[in-house]
Amino acid sequence: MSVAGAPFSGLIDARERVTGRIPYTIDIELPNMAIAKLLRSTMPHARITRLDVSRARQVRGVFAVLTGADLLERSDVFPYFGPVLRDRPILAIGKVRYAGEPVVAVAAVDADAAQEALDQVEVEYEELPAVFGIDDALAPGAPLVHDEPPKAGHTFADIILHGHPGTNICNQFKLRKGDIERGLAEADEVFEDTFYSPPLQQVPLETHCCVAEVEAGHVTVWATSQIPHMLRGNLAEVFKLPTSRVRVIVPTLGGAYGAKCYPAIEPIAAVLALVARRPVKLHLTRDEEFVTVTKHGGRITLTTGVMKDGRIVARKSLCHFNTGAYADIGPRLIKNGGYGTAGPHNIPHVWVDSYAIYTNIPPAGAFRGYGINQAAWAYESQMDVIAERLGLDPYEFRMKNLLTEGQTFATGEPVEDCHFRELLTMVAKGIGWEAKTRRVQKGSIVRGKGLSCTIKSTVTPSTSSATVKLNDEGSLNVLTSSVEMGQGQKTAHAILAAERLGIPLEKVVVMSPDTDATPYDQQSSSSRTTYAGGAAVRLAVDDVRAQLARLGAGLLGVGEDAVEIAEGRVRTKAAPHRGLEFGEVVRKTRSGDLVGRGTFQTKGGLDPETGQGVASAHWNQAAAAAEVEVDLETGKVRLLRYHGASYPGRVVNRVLTELQLEGNIGFGVSQALFEEMVFDNGQLQNGTLADYMVTSTLDMPRELVTHILENPERGDIHGIGETSLPPVMAAIGNAVYHATGVRVKDLPITPEKVLRGLREREAADRPAPKTPATAPAR
Amino acid sequence: MGLLEEYGGDAKVVAGATALTILLRNRLIAPRALISLGRVRDGLRTIREEDGALVLGALVTHREVEQSPLVRQRIPVLAETFATVANVRVRNVATVGGVVAEADYASDPPAVLLALDAEIEAQGPKGGRRIPVAKFFVGFLETALARDEVVTAVRVPVPPAGTRGAYEKFVTRSSEDRPCVGVVALARFDGRRCVDLRVAVGAASETPRRYPEIEALGRSTTLRGDVVPTIAAGYANATDALDDMRGSSWYRKAIIEVWVRRAIERVASESK
Repeated sequence: MSVAGAPFSGLIDARERVTGRIPYTIDIELPNMAIAKLLRSTMPHARITRLDVSRARQVRGVFAVLTGADLLERSDVFPYFGPVLRDRPILAIGKVRYAGEPVVAVAAVDADAAQEALDQVEVEYEELPAVFGIDDALAPGAPLVHDEPPKAGHTFADIILHGHPGTNICNQFKLRKGDIERGLAEADEVFEDTFYSPPLQQVPLETHCCVAEVEAGHVTVWATSQIPHMLRGNLAEVFKLPTSRVRVIVPTLGGAYGAKCYPAIEPIAAVLALVARRPVKLHLTRDEEFVTVTKHGGRITLTTGVMKDGRIVARKSLCHFNTGAYADIGPRLIKNGGYGTAGPHNIPHVWVDSYAIYTNIPPAGAFRGYGINQAAWAYESQMDVIAERLGLDPYEFRMKNLLTEGQTFATGEPVEDCHFRELLTMVAKGIGWEAKTRRVQKGSIVRGKGLSCTIKSTVTPSTSSATVKLNDEGSLNVLTSSVEMGQGQKTAHAILAAERLGIPLEKVVVMSPDTDATPYDQQSSSSRTTYAGGAAVRLAVDDVRAQLARLGAGLLGVGEDAVEIAEGRVRTKAAPHRGLEFGEVVRKTRSGDLVGRGTFQTKGGLDPETGQGVASAHWNQAAAAAEVEVDLETGKVRLLRYHGASYPGRVVNRVLTELQLEGNIGFGVSQALFEEMVFDNGQLQNGTLADYMVTSTLDMPRELVTHILENPERGDIHGIGETSLPPVMAAIGNAVYHATGVRVKDLPITPEKVLRGLREREAADRPAPKTPATAPAR
Repeated sequence: MGLLEEYGGDAKVVAGATALTILLRNRLIAPRALISLGRVRDGLRTIREEDGALVLGALVTHREVEQSPLVRQRIPVLAETFATVANVRVRNVATVGGVVAEADYASDPPAVLLALDAEIEAQGPKGGRRIPVAKFFVGFLETALARDEVVTAVRVPVPPAGTRGAYEKFVTRSSEDRPCVGVVALARFDGRRCVDLRVAVGAASETPRRYPEIEALGRSTTLRGDVVPTIAAGYANATDALDDMRGSSWYRKAIIEVWVRRAIERVASESK
């Protein structure tokens, strides 16, 4: 384990992980800690007409029973929260807006007592008319999920707000590039297609957990959170305290995938701890996790104008994202999902209207891919529809339109370090695209291949800081608020610090986030942890290097520019044998330790009216090729082969890079073929892992190849946590179309939809180029 | 028995607990007591051959049925069916008694037990009785068991020599999902001529289905040519297929037609 020899690859805490020694939030135990449980709404939209908790309070072992009405009576608590809009009550106040919304919280000596208290709660509802789908919510005169326009609070720099008071439109994003009317008018052909992605759950192995303690005007929470500092800010607002009196500690997470991005259960646990006057642990069951945060269901209509030679000249996108009962991060996600529909294509005229829509289903928030999954499913499926109609090969058609170095994205910014064509070519070669002439049929089994290529942004502008402490024997502590959630953040930051300073990896320890000690980091999401958090760590090490040079030069009796830092020493350039170990410099100057600080900031932002500006500090680029087998008698799809390519720029940790790529593909296969949250009148029908299907290893292709395109000379690190996910669904959908002639436009691609499409095609007497609609878009 | 009587129907008997745990957690049942069979010995854990039948004790696990040399040799299709259930972790604890007593329509074994003319042995305070599988599964999670009866064994007659069987499971979602449709075909041949055909469809209705008048069409044929699609279409028509997240009624009927045909084709193709 050394940076001097072969680069370290893998997880530095692998042994602790597999032997169960990593402490997770659920392992936190405090003296006199109470166990919390929640009573949740059984109604999707209803007025609470009666809520009697008097019998619950009398249950033996109960310390606190809390309702929304109790919150309103407290002068020391602001009862609403949310990362953008303060639209979410800590517990339902007056009415409930989705089935599963927390209504009553209980803290008791143990889970049984808490449950018994919940069983004693008497609650009566007066059901209100509700909206569940996008069309319900947008219908004239539709019932409103929020009677009053929710208030905005302090939030991220990149958020653009365009509310539509008096409707269920939570927010709108607009993009206007070029002249869309002219572009569509001048096009030889115009295609209009609508694609749908259903709501999903992130399904992290570890469900949400929070341990909270409120003592002497200080709030401390141990939380499963990807955003320690924003959570601190939100809790400070709830408790009306300076942020300095709120402390957020984040142990290692058991997966997150966006589910743990924004506050959800932490305000409940913390206020309950205040009322119960003792620490409280709230750990969600799996069925609670399903109604806590979800992926946005999305309906996207693309109107795309092309020339006969295959150049795309105009695209108009109408995007509706179902954000559920509370905004969460929906107001930002629609921006990414909106401009994302332009894809990695050089299109002169682009128009996007993207909406977040309130409905009475559980709130939707961040989900690995962040709006780009929905966008890419739409535009990469439509690419094949267009290619077929124009009589072009899907590979050639894409190559004609993919962005090249310096061409402008939909936001008007030039795309630098641009590798789409190389990536698409890698996967096309891998899958044997040139060998592709026609689908192969054997009995009732047909085979087909599909391609896809996608672009994803990373949150911009953003800020990450890090602190490093060089100790007096030369070891280094790294203090960062980046979150380890299984992706290898600690390993990546340790590698970056060790190589920058030139010390062995074993000498570096990366601390878990503790907002009292670790400096600001905006969020461990948006594939930015190694890229932005890592950049801050390197800048902090540079600060220490500068101090070493200054102090070392003094000790060596030479000028600062006469020394260099190399091979773990400060030495004179003239006589490299004359030098000092790092620890010696600290000791001889009686510095105690050397503290370095680094802040990495990206600049950018979009014009609120035109969506023009800088959307992303760099671009995450990926391509995919899939080969599937379909049984024409059943519609069953089997993924045989998959090639996925990504551009990480510089690889920091090869094993983890490959695993991230593979993990994304597993996520994508699941979304392409199986996953869907099914609601009936706002009631979730499949909120268990027996009913909600995630992919099994048995469903993964026998040939799964990840291609990593590197550019070590340039040295930039591009995020990979999400990059290779967005192309998966359309690559599989396009392969299914190639095999069967059936274009499924609404995910997942179930055997039933494929068989229905095949039967409709037969009934329509095989009109060769026409694509049957498989199901009405929702 | 005494305990079951004492709780007057407000107790549940538990063995492997793979199904019961899900029912409890989803609050579909809330019994006052759970009576564990964990310490019961007397024969409930063995597979033995008796009077031309295999007797599977109620506490025999799926994995034991799957791996039993006796089952594999005497009724291979039974081992094949139990081997397709869930995953090995579940099969190591889920029991034969449990899967029949739960009567979940989406389980694999009930259909094959129906095709094999198996009987359920039940014990109550007044003594034991045998219930033919065709009468045992009554509806959704419902059996002919009285409240104070427990399943003690499943008795599966060994089919006559010359019988071949096939279980074909079709899943629409993840490979570890339960079946959308499961079809078992059993055919006895005299040379190339089929002298007995039994076909059962599972997971498509509240209880597994068999249609003797349609099965009869296969008798005295070679189970090749038009008769097979005719039988398959007959099963699809006759089955009152249900709608769930694994497939609509329309889709299940389409799958029954394909899967009955393929199961019969498989047993026929293995005939010399």
